[in-house]
Amino acid sequence: MPIHPFGSILSDAQATTLRAVLDRMIPADDYDDYPGAWDAGVGDYLARQLQGDLAACLSTYRDGLNALDLESESRFVVGFSALDAARQDEMLASLERGEAQADWNVSPETFIEMLANHVAEGYYSDPGNGGNRDCAAWRMVGFDPRWTVSRWPANRWSANVTGTARE
Amino acid sequence: MSDYDAIVIGAGAAGGIVACVLAESGKRVLLLERGSAYGYANIPRDHLRNHRLALYGQGMGPGASGHPRVVVDSDGNPQTVLAPHQAGYNNNAMGVGGGTVVYGAQAWRFLEHDFRMASQYGVPDGSSLADWPLNYAELEPYYDQAEWEIGVSGDGDANRFQSPRVRGYPMPPVPDNPSRNALRRGADRLGWNTFLLPLLINTTPYNDRPACVRCNLCVGFACPSDSKNGTQNTVIPRALATDSCILITGAQVERIDTDALGNVTGVSYITERQGTIRRETARAKTVIVSAGAIESARLLLNSASPLHPRGLGNARDLVGRNLQGHYYPTAHGFMPEPMNDNLGPGASIATCQFNHGNPGVIGGGMLANDFIETPIFFRRSALPPDAPKWGLANKRWMRDNYRRWIEVKGPVQEIPNPESRVTVDPSVRDKFGLPVARLSGTAHPETLRTTEFMREKAISWLEASGAEQIWSPPITLRLSAGQHQAGTCRMGDDPARSVVDRWGRVHQHHNLFVLDGSIHVTNGGFNPVLTIMALAFRSGEYIARNC
Repeated sequence: MPIHPFGSILSDAQATTLRAVLDRMIPADDYDDYPGAWDAGVGDYLARQLQGDLAACLSTYRDGLNALDLESESRFVVGFSALDAARQDEMLASLERGEAQADWNVSPETFIEMLANHVAEGYYSDPGNGGNRDCAAWRMVGFDPRWTVSRWPANRWSANVTGTARE
Repeated sequence: MSDYDAIVIGAGAAGGIVACVLAESGKRVLLLERGSAYGYANIPRDHLRNHRLALYGQGMGPGASGHPRVVVDSDGNPQTVLAPHQAGYNNNAMGVGGGTVVYGAQAWRFLEHDFRMASQYGVPDGSSLADWPLNYAELEPYYDQAEWEIGVSGDGDANRFQSPRVRGYPMPPVPDNPSRNALRRGADRLGWNTFLLPLLINTTPYNDRPACVRCNLCVGFACPSDSKNGTQNTVIPRALATDSCILITGAQVERIDTDALGNVTGVSYITERQGTIRRETARAKTVIVSAGAIESARLLLNSASPLHPRGLGNARDLVGRNLQGHYYPTAHGFMPEPMNDNLGPGASIATCQFNHGNPGVIGGGMLANDFIETPIFFRRSALPPDAPKWGLANKRWMRDNYRRWIEVKGPVQEIPNPESRVTVDPSVRDKFGLPVARLSGTAHPETLRTTEFMREKAISWLEASGAEQIWSPPITLRLSAGQHQAGTCRMGDDPARSVVDRWGRVHQHHNLFVLDGSIHVTNGGFNPVLTIMALAFRSGEYIARNC
């Protein structure tokens, strides 16, 4: 059983760091039962997207995750995933303000903002995208997926139409 | 000898109607559509790839590659936008039915004043503001025809500011919802007139299709119950049922052909089947361009000939100018109790209190609440700028606010700017080698002033309705087109100042018409589709009788 869904696009170390970041971006909440990002499938969403629509962001992910670990080591000696949640949050918040100690070859503010957006996409969009497992995010916010069966006539375009039935 | 009486280019809101009117009058019609004939199953209910939130793609055409546009940024630098879903492309859904397959279907008539903006307000510096060559009364019968033949639900009498109508709507309005009730109380406090807004959506069975099942993915998506009325489920099937209309999909018109005397003879178009590209021609007595304000202008410009070196209808360099859409002042707020009952469509209350008569600004616009939106759309549009963007605080914000969200927004009537325009790019080509549309310029500064005025009204409405944490995105000067794109082949009686006449006929060409948002002189403070439809019914009747 693979420990992460990223195959060879991220190293094990990068995947471990990413998982830790995702779970601070959207943590599990003691207050209720709704899962954190990783358990909701956001890792699966990103694994798919980083080999698809977001392939152009892959190098930013690698560089940013490497820098995040270096930042953590320079501040606290250990890597990001080894920090406790409070320190992880504190570090992400300072990076969001642009306060970096290590050498970053991507902008830390931009990296944090990008992650926050991508994590939200995986967590809150339809499960067909790989995240929002069991519609957990929709149950949390109160979006009711009212799936309905198509009532379009199957033969609407059968007469006098030449060409493709779809793109 | 012509193959057809008429060729209609584009099977969207206008093209579908013209094709139907002509075919039902016995004309032989070729309807060419560059997109596909979609079925419900082919338009995904993907929350990241739809016509409301197109982060990585969209439901309908054109395809993601091979159809770039060029957008000139505010520093004057041209940027190539590769994919239709990307920012700046200003796509409108392409396919049979066009935007009417996935729209929110708001069914607005313009007001009498909207047809004479220049007389009403004067012409501000740098603007090309003008009156229409026709008035509301001339269009009223065709608004009525669109409402009854395409199918509109609404409350006929409740809008105190509407212009006279001969009768009400064929279907009753959408039901009340919590957001409507809250906003009505607020408007009552302010003394504003409100009403249940008109929609091209069945609230009862109509035209042999059922009433809306009230799903919560409406605007931006195809309707599961086929209750959202567009040209794809009304006039286009009617046109095809006559056996006098042929629809070819996946057919990109390359140019409008003219003979040595300059008369329009037909079109050359390109099809791609299983990777094989074929170039074909069709001849017709009349050609009607209904490709949308950007693509219609592009096609006229790409149809240059020795007699028309600047493109058809463009002897005076007017084709493509006055590109406009709608600025949308928006206010977000949060109510103590849930507003979102998960029952679509959601848009349910509007006011026309501020379309005109606003001190110190030109025109105005309608304000309304909005459709039920997806959680990810909510996260991206309603999160206040000072709210946490991640972490437990953000998660709890999502959990606690999604259903309490209340929103007021509306389309502002834009003041046309001739420097906001469509040209064809000198170097970038599409997959067939055709020069692509190039968009440049910005809205007129007066549009921003009116937008700021309306933004204050939107905020006031939420305040009076008891919303908390109200915020409103800032207004910036930019190019405006989008799904409400209009103005690029404006109507007028004077050939020196307009591209088409009052019937949509290109001034220099007796048998070439443009019918879509392109011909709007101004675009109203309303969603423009019912006006596009009414003009198509009106000109379709004219073409059937005279061509």
